[in-house]
Amino acid sequence: MDAQNILVCGIGGQGVVLAGKIISNAAYGKGFDVKTSEVHGMSQRGGSVSTHIRFGEKVFSPLIPGQSADIILSFDIYETLRYARDFADKKTLIISSNYGKIPLWASARENDGISIAEITGTLKINFDKLLTVNKKETAMALGNVRVANIILLGLLSKFTDIEEDFWLKAIQDSVPEKTKEINIKAFLIGRNEK
Amino acid sequence: MQAKTFHTALLTGNEAIAAGAYKAGVRVATGYPGTPSSEILPYLARFNNAIVNWSINEKTALEIAIGASIGYKRSMFTTKHVGLNVASDPFMTLALTGVRGGIVIITADDPAMHSSQNEQDNRFYSKFAKVPMFEPSDSNECFKFTDEAFEVSESFDTPVIIRMTTRISHSKSVVHIEPVYLPNMNLNSENKNNSYLKEKIYIKDIEKFVMAPVYARKRHKIAIERLKKLQEFSNNSGINRIEYNSLDFGIITSGVSYQYVKEIAPFASVLKLSFSYPVPDLLIKEFVKRVKSVIIVEELEPFIQNEISSIGINLKGKEIFNRFGELTPDMVKEGLINAGFIKKYDNKSSGKLLSKGGLSELDNLLKKLPQRLPALCSGCPHTSIFYALKKLKVPVMGDIGCYTLGALPPLNAMDSCISMGLAFGAAQGLSLSNSSPKKIAGIMGDSTFFHSGITSLIDAKYNNACFTAIILDNSTTAMTGGQDHPGTGKNLSPGQVMSNKIDIKRVVEGIGIDEIYTIDPYDYNAVYKTLKKALSSKNLNVIITKRPCILYPVKIDLGKKFKILEGCNGCGLCMQTGCPSILNSGKFLDNNKPVPFIDSSCIGCSICKDICVFNFIEEIKS
Ligand code: SF4
Ligand code: SF4
Repeated sequence: MDAQNILVCGIGGQGVVLAGKIISNAAYGKGFDVKTSEVHGMSQRGGSVSTHIRFGEKVFSPLIPGQSADIILSFDIYETLRYARDFADKKTLIISSNYGKIPLWASARENDGISIAEITGTLKINFDKLLTVNKKETAMALGNVRVANIILLGLLSKFTDIEEDFWLKAIQDSVPEKTKEINIKAFLIGRNEK
Repeated sequence: MQAKTFHTALLTGNEAIAAGAYKAGVRVATGYPGTPSSEILPYLARFNNAIVNWSINEKTALEIAIGASIGYKRSMFTTKHVGLNVASDPFMTLALTGVRGGIVIITADDPAMHSSQNEQDNRFYSKFAKVPMFEPSDSNECFKFTDEAFEVSESFDTPVIIRMTTRISHSKSVVHIEPVYLPNMNLNSENKNNSYLKEKIYIKDIEKFVMAPVYARKRHKIAIERLKKLQEFSNNSGINRIEYNSLDFGIITSGVSYQYVKEIAPFASVLKLSFSYPVPDLLIKEFVKRVKSVIIVEELEPFIQNEISSIGINLKGKEIFNRFGELTPDMVKEGLINAGFIKKYDNKSSGKLLSKGGLSELDNLLKKLPQRLPALCSGCPHTSIFYALKKLKVPVMGDIGCYTLGALPPLNAMDSCISMGLAFGAAQGLSLSNSSPKKIAGIMGDSTFFHSGITSLIDAKYNNACFTAIILDNSTTAMTGGQDHPGTGKNLSPGQVMSNKIDIKRVVEGIGIDEIYTIDPYDYNAVYKTLKKALSSKNLNVIITKRPCILYPVKIDLGKKFKILEGCNGCGLCMQTGCPSILNSGKFLDNNKPVPFIDSSCIGCSICKDICVFNFIEEIKS
């Protein structure tokens, strides 16, 4: 089997690194050879962040080659655009938040604004499997808007051949004790959707 | 898929280094935080076995490691690439004295400068100092090589460099490791079977450790002799290995580049250099003799290439690959295509590369996408001072830390970032140049002040300099993830007493500077007034801003939220703070100015409220 390539992206502080950790632990738990790589610049928050996760029988490069992601999971639609361009091809499954955030000073600098509808439209033309979702409200109902991205992770889990047990164990091993329950709930909502 | 018949763990390169050091029985480990090396010491501290501590700077850190080695203990010093410059003074001479307990130096380079001010290739330090070097290519090798490096250090009487890069330090991969070498607070005890751990009583040896000319001359010869023995090791120990495949195509490589080569060109024969200085001359000769066409794939400088050409073999390397930045699988592939190793359509994704430029609509949109520059956090206590400095339009000599972001838009209020601790020296120099009618400001954080700002502030006083020195005290080393420093009084190993906490103000007073202002950076009006006053006085003076970082050691949320009131005229002042919580609401005024909107990530610092002179920002009362 070829290595499976999953790229998680977003902006600092959104849990990109955590999601990467859960995916890699689940794949590792199942017994795959795993390599991951975090790519981020010098900002703690607000900068563009990505994690590459590769697993299979034997993996060499810790970075995903261009246009070779099997799945892109994105927590910010602007970043989806950036990373899809570099790592997706027509067949890549793209699971993306349908919202994104750019500070006012940065967006006001550019006089040719860019709308989310425009981004989604263009992505749809170029990539066959695009899933844009907004799980903020579901997460809020669970009690913490921050687990919205774990719901997305649950959605992603359906498209891997890693069984549920490995996912649940990976979540338990990766999140703080007191948030275990809500994270697992959030994950299962995503996983059991439709 | 294999059943796990052996013990493994999924570790980052940095974690694996720490585990290897623990296995080797390291007793003293020191360092100064620096991306990408910062996670090694905290992980090692989790073993609860060695003395593991942050030092004030890299030079002191290495000196502590040297002392421990003189006392027969194994010691380790960790640093980012530029930190070895700071420690290079003891390092270059340590290369002459050699060691008693093994000394391993971890230097983590940052190709592509993800979080660094330069891209120096520290492999040259090994040649410069005549010190052997390991270059791991994944976490498993990090673990193995660290253990082995201590052996090499002691058997060859030399410090040893392990050269990491961001990609190795921050990537995770599977490590073959017994559970006893993973941190577990209750289980880890000393590795008693290591003989060098037996307590030895100190005896002096001035011919080895006093590098006065008479002894240093002798030691230099010994160091040169040592290189020959190390080269034998490099050739014969099996650490450098040849993987024969096609005898038409051969690649000599090291570090992470090895992984890209295996991924892209599994058919090629490979000479993998894991012990890359001194290079294994015999292995190289054998390899180029048996394989028809051989090239070198290495990141950054032509280090291996130069070494190989110095033994009379000229191979292509940097003619094909960049001398800057990180390599990626795609760049290696392009290079191998150019070298004729693979054909354009040979493997599955090369067709896709061709589509570059074909996705015009995507590319057009991407061009419009605002660049997401790194920014200070919402509520970062550094924000107000830069906003005020910008308004005052004074030259600002800056430094290295989160606050370097104050140089970027929209704050644009820092004019230099070159080396750790530069600010006060450069502020003195710039004021001597008489090129600015305005008084100069120098600015650095608390950790940087301890690292190397104290010396330049003393120099400023001594030499009667006149500028305003600003110390941003947020009680942590934030940029690298919130490490302790002398001003926090805490450290990694237990046993620290809070009375050892160093008070910045008392240090400044001790230097004899009388005009000192301590302010709360959340009080914007006070920040502005104080700055104005300090910058108009004709003295060397110091402003200390005091507020904890909002991320480290604990996340801070003041529990308040602010909002933009109806009537906002779109003047844009608040967005000039660069606070990431101030977004575009998507609404525009008649004059086309966007109306700001504060989202729920606001932590309630109130800086924007003070800055909005029209009073259109207000706390949300629930
Ligand atoms: S991590 Fe701390 S110091 Fe750095 S930008 Fe955030 S709040 Fe400011
Ligand atoms: S009060 Fe204003 S400046 Fe402070 S965090 Fe909130 S929005 Fe940002």
